[in-house]
Amino acid sequence: MKPDDEALTTKQSLAIITEMINLTKGNIRNNSVYFLLWGSVIALANLSMFALLMAHYPRPYIVWIIVIPAWLLTLYLAYRHRRKHRMATHLDRINMWMWLCFGVVIFTLVAFGKAVNYQLNPIILLVSALPTLLSGVIIKFRPLIVGGICFWICGALSFVLGSPWQPLLGALAVTVGYIIPGILLRIKKEA
Amino acid sequence: MFKELDPLLHAQLRLAVMSLLMQVTSAEFTDIKEKTNCTAGNLSVQLDKLSAAGYIAVEKSFKGKKPLTTCSITKKGIKAFEDYVNTLKQYIHNR
Repeated sequence: MKPDDEALTTKQSLAIITEMINLTKGNIRNNSVYFLLWGSVIALANLSMFALLMAHYPRPYIVWIIVIPAWLLTLYLAYRHRRKHRMATHLDRINMWMWLCFGVVIFTLVAFGKAVNYQLNPIILLVSALPTLLSGVIIKFRPLIVGGICFWICGALSFVLGSPWQPLLGALAVTVGYIIPGILLRIKKEA
Repeated sequence: MFKELDPLLHAQLRLAVMSLLMQVTSAEFTDIKEKTNCTAGNLSVQLDKLSAAGYIAVEKSFKGKKPLTTCSITKKGIKAFEDYVNTLKQYIHNR
């Protein structure tokens, strides 16, 4: 950037504003790692649970213990990201609070699972539709919007299909909702 | 009749700083310097001008033992930036 205060043309002014907007708009797109991490963890947990259900294992839900290291890894990645990217845009802030609220809702649902007769799979899938779709709207990324719709459809189908098939629908939903958009975001970022 | 463009914003570095601060909650001096690709001395002078006009708030603190300067846009700064963009639009549409 030039050190002097030389007069600008309107074209140059517009170019400066556009350039600065472009420099900050990539922040949320850097979040592909979280979609890939949680997509893989939840897909793996759902597929393992399905296998254990088919094997008539008495406590198939034990596989969900895998989310504990995933949470720890998420906290570490968020801390590292914060140190590296200190500037937070207004949209970054909205996005962060939205996913934080989502985490609190999921935690509450799991804690009070008995109150909903442990019909957690369809409810969690339906709730997941909201932040996924809105993240897609915020960064104008269609695969995440499609992913959000997929969560909603799989959530509704889970109510209809019932227990043994619910983990499979969960795995399908996170594959379309998190893993595929995560891969596409990564490709787009590197392009 | 064209409104005059705010001379405080109609300068390369100050406009870049304001465009950046419009989008973020706050930004550290080093980040602004990195994004605008300017020298620390020049940036410091321009930040002082924007701060004196009440367009930005500059907060000086310490991060460990290192001094930390954080900037954020004020309501007056947001209004000035919006007015600048609207005037710019008039210039472009009536060209």
